[in-house]
Amino acid sequence: MTAPVLDVRDVRLRRGTREILRGVTFTAGRGEIVVILGPSGSGKTTILRAIAGLDRHDSGRIAVEGGRAGMVFQFHCLFEHLSALENVCLAPVHAHGVRKDAAIARGRELLAAFGVEHRAGALPRELSGGEAQRVAIARALAVDPHVLLLDEPTASLDPDRRAELGALLLDLARQGRTLVVATHDEDFARLCASRTLRLADGVLGVVQA
Amino acid sequence: MSQIAKRFIQLLNAARARPLAAAGLGISLFVSSSSAFAQTPPDFRWAGDAEGGAPFVEADPSRPDVVSGFDVDIAALLARGLHRTPRFVMITFSSIDQSIARGDAEIGLSGIEDTPARRAALSTTLPYYEFREVLSVRTADAARFRTLEDLRGHKVATLSGTIAYEILLRAERDHGIDALSYDDDVHPYSDLVLGRVDAVLLDNVLADRRRRFISGFTIQPGTVAVGHYVGVLSPANAPLRDACNEILRTAMRDGTLERIFRRWNVWNDEQPKLHARLLAGDQVAPVVGFDTSGSTASLSAVDATRRYLPALLRASVITLILSFLSMALAVAIGVLIATGRVYGGRTIRAVLTAYVELMRGTPILLQLFVLYYGIAAAIRLPAFAAALLGLALNYAAYESEIYRGALHAVPNGQLEAGRTLGLSEVQILTLVRGPQAFRLALAPMTNDFVALLKDSSLVSVLTVMELTKQTQIFATNLGSWVIPGTLCAALYLAMSLPLAAVASRLERRWKAATS
Repeated sequence: MTAPVLDVRDVRLRRGTREILRGVTFTAGRGEIVVILGPSGSGKTTILRAIAGLDRHDSGRIAVEGGRAGMVFQFHCLFEHLSALENVCLAPVHAHGVRKDAAIARGRELLAAFGVEHRAGALPRELSGGEAQRVAIARALAVDPHVLLLDEPTASLDPDRRAELGALLLDLARQGRTLVVATHDEDFARLCASRTLRLADGVLGVVQA
Repeated sequence: MSQIAKRFIQLLNAARARPLAAAGLGISLFVSSSSAFAQTPPDFRWAGDAEGGAPFVEADPSRPDVVSGFDVDIAALLARGLHRTPRFVMITFSSIDQSIARGDAEIGLSGIEDTPARRAALSTTLPYYEFREVLSVRTADAARFRTLEDLRGHKVATLSGTIAYEILLRAERDHGIDALSYDDDVHPYSDLVLGRVDAVLLDNVLADRRRRFISGFTIQPGTVAVGHYVGVLSPANAPLRDACNEILRTAMRDGTLERIFRRWNVWNDEQPKLHARLLAGDQVAPVVGFDTSGSTASLSAVDATRRYLPALLRASVITLILSFLSMALAVAIGVLIATGRVYGGRTIRAVLTAYVELMRGTPILLQLFVLYYGIAAAIRLPAFAAALLGLALNYAAYESEIYRGALHAVPNGQLEAGRTLGLSEVQILTLVRGPQAFRLALAPMTNDFVALLKDSSLVSVLTVMELTKQTQIFATNLGSWVIPGTLCAALYLAMSLPLAAVASRLERRWKAATS
């Protein structure tokens, strides 16, 4: 068996006196979609933030193949002052040394792959929720992370858009990307999860399909 | 009441916050507290400027309501002759004419020059003292700068609103000198010794006095022009003027005036000649040796406006250049301060916070004085540079607060998105946080720029010939603020209204963008 792309071992994280993660352990392999279920406030987002390196965990270890995990925030967090295409190209050009024309070509490709190439010049505030999410996914993928984290991706989607997103994520998994999705949407978990974990009291349990 | 007043004056004095303000306040309290005594003869209210100092009018440092000087003695002489009690009213020198016309005091006595303009606008007494306009230069330059003609291309300073300033303006046209006007008669001499100016033209009484305190300059023996000191009264007060003239004539005849001037060491050979001519009934011309017919005061309002408008426009350009440059510098420094306060360590944050609070918590006027005069011994900044730097350093504090607020207003999610994409903190600041904060800061910045445009008028105290300073000179020479004030206001509005429009447009655009 090949080594997991994402390896989370006994991660503990406290905020103040409250222990939010009390020994979280799971792995994700290549092409796998791991869905973490749990009510709001259970610490799903905290797991993703710890994996993304935004929150420091107190103990345990997190290993991500390729160094850094990509993150799609619940509220997208697109750079407000940049167009959709500029959002996608910013990091490749400035943080990863990609030439500008190459980055733009790849950015357009990504936007096209998610059906939002016609919105390339639009500012984030001009995009619909679904469009903004697709741009945010494109932005995260533009720097080629092996692991993509999605926080409550269905929160602002109607059922049709939710099905489309599910198909899109399955597509990404088929291309070899590893996905971790935090959600409280059980239907969405059934739609696309290769494995579902349930977070309760700061620890994960396996959900029987 | 008077006990409380005294205590208040002592406190003000101890604080030494503004000796002049303390003096003015002290006097007004004194006047109001003494008005309770109905039996005392009506006060003879006379106006002078204690900042002018000895030998004219000088305030006792420990008791600002007590003044001394030859003008004080002459006021006492007049009061005695009128069987009234002299009461000193502190008025800024350049405002004495207007104050007399308004009725703040009955007579102004403070080394006030006899000019055709004063004779036309006010009642003037007999000239009681004759002075000579003399040129002072650094001792090392005594051989090469003997007259105004020798000073082509050099800066010559004087007190604003004086005959000497009119002479310098004429010399600017005739001999190519650079005339500089100060609001007091001390700094022209200190700047002369420092090398900021190359000569000072003022009357011999002021020059002699200054030489007792400042060394390093020489008074040239030549006389540039001859003038006289007079008392000024409102035009409606001619009977009182005539009574004062009679008292002055008697004092000339019986030697009282001579004793007063001897007491203050300003008696010389010119005075008995002047007194003899006056007692013989001769007319004495206000100024000898300088043709005052071309002066602004003798022009009609329209002609005066036509004459001064180019100067006002030039001064507006100075105001604009000064404002743009200092704003640019303030923005640059403000960005650095804000960045330091948001990202810096504890020490950097503490130092920058102290700077911002110091700049916002002290008057900009004081900062300008310190920058120009206070540190002159160590760093001798030219007036324009000091003005530019003073405005920039002050406004940088305010700008930094705008940027700090704007940086904090950028949502954390924007920064975290940058981090997950692998951008460094510096890149997040320059590519994400900075540009977004700048948009938020744009409208308040434009508002601040309008404020700076108007605050730039404060640098007139550093002899920078910007719009307000030029207006002041115009008003002093014209003897009225109506036309100069209106023109000045129109020019400031012409500069600030477009900026205000830009500010509100930016604000609207940003509001539309964020809603």
